[in-house]
Amino acid sequence: MKQPTYNMESPAAPLVQRNWWVYLVLILVCLVNFVPYLWVVMTGFMDGASASSATPAWFFTPSLEAFHYLIVEKGIMKNFFNSVIVSLASTFFSVTIGMFCAYALARYDFTGRDDVSFWVLTNRMMPPVAVLIPIFVTFQTAGLLDTLAGLVLLYTAMQLPFVVWMLTGYFRDIPRRYEESAMVDGDTWFAAFRKVTLPLMMPSITATSIFVMILSWNEFAFATFLTSTQAKTMPPAIMAYSIGADIRWNVLGAAVVLITAPLILFVLLLQRQLISGLSQGVVRK
Amino acid sequence: MSISERTTTAPPMALSHRGILSRFGPSNRAVFPWVLMAPTLIILFAIGIYPFLYSLYIASHNVILSKPYLPRIFVGLYQYQALIQDPEFWHALRKTLLFTVQAVFIEFWLGLGLALLFQRQLAGIAFMRVFILIPMILPPLVAALIWRYMFYPGAGLMTYYVGGITKALGFGEIPFLSDPTIAFQTLVFVDVWEWTPFMFLMLSAGLASIPRQPYEAAEIDGASSWRVFWTITMPLLRPAILIAVVIRTMDAFRTYELIVIMTRGGPGNATTTMNVFLTKTGLEFFDASKAAALSLIMMMIIIVMSFVFIRVFRSKTEVAE
Repeated sequence: MKQPTYNMESPAAPLVQRNWWVYLVLILVCLVNFVPYLWVVMTGFMDGASASSATPAWFFTPSLEAFHYLIVEKGIMKNFFNSVIVSLASTFFSVTIGMFCAYALARYDFTGRDDVSFWVLTNRMMPPVAVLIPIFVTFQTAGLLDTLAGLVLLYTAMQLPFVVWMLTGYFRDIPRRYEESAMVDGDTWFAAFRKVTLPLMMPSITATSIFVMILSWNEFAFATFLTSTQAKTMPPAIMAYSIGADIRWNVLGAAVVLITAPLILFVLLLQRQLISGLSQGVVRK
Repeated sequence: MSISERTTTAPPMALSHRGILSRFGPSNRAVFPWVLMAPTLIILFAIGIYPFLYSLYIASHNVILSKPYLPRIFVGLYQYQALIQDPEFWHALRKTLLFTVQAVFIEFWLGLGLALLFQRQLAGIAFMRVFILIPMILPPLVAALIWRYMFYPGAGLMTYYVGGITKALGFGEIPFLSDPTIAFQTLVFVDVWEWTPFMFLMLSAGLASIPRQPYEAAEIDGASSWRVFWTITMPLLRPAILIAVVIRTMDAFRTYELIVIMTRGGPGNATTTMNVFLTKTGLEFFDASKAAALSLIMMMIIIVMSFVFIRVFRSKTEVAE
């Protein structure tokens, strides 16, 4: 079905009539990728009866029953705002801190550079579950269990390798003579960095931030074990309503709508930055 | 492939600070990078290295979390030895490798196929890309919940439609999650669904960076598209393939949400991968020492794997160049 065909012609050249099977394949893939999500979202707007019927109810009268249950009865918005705070804060810190590390790795040729670079990356390799117990014990002693500060610290550390890795590639792209000429003109290093390098880096920093924010928003394993009531974020909160024998499918659907709404919105608004940013990072390495 | 650029001139320009601090300032090219990296390294040390050392400590002692009153006895390498003799460990390792290899292999070829199709500048293709990327954007937790629902007996779309077809053909309903073999393949399927978009995105980026000239030359020579694909596209795509495959392998190796939510390692232990085995050992049986030893072994495997990957691809890429 998917034979490799490479289009050598210029964008205008492809013959439209020969492309019908391409459209067919692509539409099929789109459906496979989209319908499961769409179906769960639809379930979220069903009432209990249509959601639990054995035959899929593609047509139904919309109901906000499940949302009412989650928001009013269960107070899930608290978890929602916890998630917002944790993702924003950890993104801010990891990007701000990681940026300087990436800059150093890209700009300076010091002994041990490759080792540092590889070591930073190995931090991403540890399975989260593997470090859960030591981190749990540490958090317990430090009084960080079930606090937003604890989660922010942890996520910042978790995202740093990725940030450093992405931004190092981007910094290499920016010719260093720009900074150097600013410094010749009498700026300090930091002023040159802020006025010259940073504005040039902004698109890449945006793309990396979006990515990191999504990863923090989605994080599940640590959030489950390190929070209980106060700092619980969306993923563990949703888990509570989605597993179990007496599962209510419309509540699951509504929960999925609430946790994915910001993501979908984000991607629709920032699609271009996200894709181009990620692409450049790949090509660099 | 990073070309390390050396600065010919590193002028210590405009030093406004004097005294001790300026010794660590931008003018000191040996020390300043470490100053810049310090915050990152400190945080990674605190959250990365410290738990690692702690794991080493726990793994060499006998720590049962549910019995904190027991004295912590030094047991040396006993935990590793016990694991190596444990058939459950080898079972979990085999399942993990099988899962990773199958998933990454399928994802790679599907992702590459899709990326190649997207090379054609068709009308509406940008619009379709959003739909294709959806599974990857969803939280892994949500992807797992969605498919748990899809395959739920008596409720999901898959059980209803696919089950309806197989019933009509006389095979009965497919036990998507209750048959050991099928449950495993179902998990591979969901992982492919979730992460093929990632491969697609990475490989698309790689394709976009390939220069036009080799293709023009090939066209003049009249090379077939099959030949062009193997002799031009694939070698030039290698760096992107490397990154995509390494990242995906590392992540598939430690797949967590998907398996824990869809099968909890079952039926029996048919889908008990290393990560699930680890979770059960540490958080259900509270055998922290065994879990720590297991996690260290897992990390070693991942590091060795990515190291080998990088080596192999580096050498091949250099030959290609």
